[in-house]
Amino acid sequence: MRLFLLVLVLAAAPLCAKEELVTLPKRDSVQLTIYNSEDLTLVRERRTLSFKQGSNRLQFSWANTLIDPTSVELMPVGDAARAAIDIADTSFPAESHEMLIWTISCKTAGSYPVEISYFTSGISWHAEYVGVVNAGESSVEITAYVTVNNWSGEQYEDAQVRLVIGVINLVEKIINLAQPRHPVPPPAPAPAAPSEEMEDDLRGMQEAMDDPDGDGMVRPKEIKKSGLSEYYIFTVGGTETIANQWSKRLRSFVVGGVPLKTAYTLKPREFGPLFTKVLEFKNDEEHKLGKEPLPDGVLRLYRDQGQGRLGFMGALVTKYIPKGEEVKVNVGPDAECTLAEKRMSLRKKDLMFEHGWLTGWTTVEEFEIEVKNFRGRAVEVEIHRVIGGDFDFDSTDTFEKEDAQTRKIRFSLDPNSPRKLRFTVTTRHGRNSRR
Amino acid sequence: MNKRILMTFCFTFGVGAMISLLNPTPADARIKLATLPDREAVVVRFDNPNVVMVEEERTISLQKGVNNVDFSWAGTQIDKGSIIFRPADPAAKVEILSTSYPPGEAALTWQISAAEAMSVKFRLSYLMANIQRETDYRMLVSKDEQTCSFKHYFKIRNWSGGRFATADFVTRDGKKFEKGLENGEAKRVLVNSWDKVKLTKEYVYDLTRQPEGKVLTDYVLKNAKEIGLGSIPLEYGKVRIYQDDGSGTTAFTGEDWGRFTPIGDDMRLNIGIAQDIKIEMKKMVNDVQNRRGNVYDTDEVDEYEIKNFKDTEAVVTLVLRVDGEWEMKATTSGHDSFERVDNETIRFKVKAPAKGTPVKLRFHYQKKNVW
Repeated sequence: MRLFLLVLVLAAAPLCAKEELVTLPKRDSVQLTIYNSEDLTLVRERRTLSFKQGSNRLQFSWANTLIDPTSVELMPVGDAARAAIDIADTSFPAESHEMLIWTISCKTAGSYPVEISYFTSGISWHAEYVGVVNAGESSVEITAYVTVNNWSGEQYEDAQVRLVIGVINLVEKIINLAQPRHPVPPPAPAPAAPSEEMEDDLRGMQEAMDDPDGDGMVRPKEIKKSGLSEYYIFTVGGTETIANQWSKRLRSFVVGGVPLKTAYTLKPREFGPLFTKVLEFKNDEEHKLGKEPLPDGVLRLYRDQGQGRLGFMGALVTKYIPKGEEVKVNVGPDAECTLAEKRMSLRKKDLMFEHGWLTGWTTVEEFEIEVKNFRGRAVEVEIHRVIGGDFDFDSTDTFEKEDAQTRKIRFSLDPNSPRKLRFTVTTRHGRNSRR
Repeated sequence: MNKRILMTFCFTFGVGAMISLLNPTPADARIKLATLPDREAVVVRFDNPNVVMVEEERTISLQKGVNNVDFSWAGTQIDKGSIIFRPADPAAKVEILSTSYPPGEAALTWQISAAEAMSVKFRLSYLMANIQRETDYRMLVSKDEQTCSFKHYFKIRNWSGGRFATADFVTRDGKKFEKGLENGEAKRVLVNSWDKVKLTKEYVYDLTRQPEGKVLTDYVLKNAKEIGLGSIPLEYGKVRIYQDDGSGTTAFTGEDWGRFTPIGDDMRLNIGIAQDIKIEMKKMVNDVQNRRGNVYDTDEVDEYEIKNFKDTEAVVTLVLRVDGEWEMKATTSGHDSFERVDNETIRFKVKAPAKGTPVKLRFHYQKKNVW
């Protein structure tokens, strides 16, 4: 479960002879670019290697990890290295799926930096949000987190971590490419990280987070956000050590006083058949957000109960929210604001017969929707009524046409009061239908 | 300099929380020499109908720099993702830098930065499974069935694996009571009590509620100030109904599930069958009219004979249903009032005289355009 890079000193030795003297060059740096739409991480590591003039052999092995062998590449870094060394070939020994050997020709002996990059499976990240809604439900404080999970079999120490938001296209899953062609036992669960790893972790943390305000406080790392083509990249400040099988959660941002609206909503296509409470805000500057898209993740909402105490409102999975998009958070039905619909009458007319059999008819149905607000404050109500078939809609209430099948109305409802909406749907059936 | 201040909150509450001041110790070893910060101000909240939230306070001694705080909850069912850890005073000079989750453990480690060595009160919130709550009511009805006393009980059962030496339990309506609660223990507490609540009694014939056609006896409580309630929404729960028998004791007269009743709404409770009121239904007319191909109308008369064998007059509500397109004919008779509840449902009120004198409701209606 460790990556090994071995410089094979006995350059001329056959591949099968393994009694070789080797040096173990350490990583100088490592960068992880973790994608959230696929089980894919691009690892870039730099090492400084010593080469002798002539042919050099370099063995790279990754036993019990989830590295895609087809993705492993070695590149010299810098003009001097590019001028001096050249990769003659790459061998994949038959006896191991998890090893390759580069043959490198070197014009001038010396130490040169190289970059090794590869794809690995098993490292993922996801976003989480905590929202604390004020007592009047007029604003919310949003804290965003990113959590990195490492099940790759490898510990990446002091790694620069970049998180990619976006949907990329892969023609083959990295986990499939990482599996040996001939079945071998899966990677054994790694033991908990040894003590040195934690110490490294702490060192890395200390190096990365200094005292920016001069008040003796170490601050959470800044996570820089930048756009790239169709993607966004979140770059975690400094370095992180994510031990194998550990997860680590970092704060991405915290924004208080985000203006919030609450609307009790019936919108079957978006929120299902129930009349639910929906919290609304926008990912824009007016709402103190809008600096970056909000990746999909779990949002947990709490209500400020006063004196810093919290009450749980609900948890839900949010979709990716681009900059400027409206966010609607369904927190579920509220027993103190209810909606009931009844069909108050049914009439059939315009019956059409052919050869004595009914072939067309029209129904006239009167409906009543009663919304009751049992709460002690006014609430906004939004109703999207979906109607099927070839119909005419008629109401003295101010319904709007949302689309061919949907009528919408939004209104404010006073505390402790009901409102009844009436509408008539005339539907043509059978031969009477114009569709 | 990085401080290796390890603290473990062992969630088996008997062990308590631990702070260690050792030299750097491997996080995975989890062997610590510890001091025990007391749990302070534990609050168990039931304001969400589906989950239970626990909030507790701990005062933690931090050293200047970065401190590691471990929290473990082996043997309990805490929702890991729901854990929120923050200083009780938002102005405290501390920052939560990161949260790390070790493999295979119900545990996490916070890295906390402190501007200086100090003791800070933190508030820890989380959702916890297996703390069950139950609401039940006890209703004592006066002999004349005009009023009642209504008592609201809240019962909690703790299967969470945790122990609460003492905690404030907060109900959905904000009522707070302080109790201790051991693992496996249940407690039932009277949280609200109302006296002289006005009561309405109804006799109801409704085949969807009682398919055999027996008459149901309902009590209706309006959750409103004018009848003596209306201070909180009434939770769903079992209502056990007793009645003053006039001789200094009470009799159990039935029980029903009371649905969640917001302020201003009605709670309807069925206490059983009114055996002294009998209703017999007969179809007196069932004619087909106005045939057009495969479409026709019907003319129907349903007759309900109501006999009230009580010593006093009773008002009986008959809830009747007819599907499709129909209209009631003016020749319908025998009722005091009616309400077309919706297209399919009509509700008649009929006064039934005492001592078994029969009264007939004649429900005449026409179904139209049937096929």
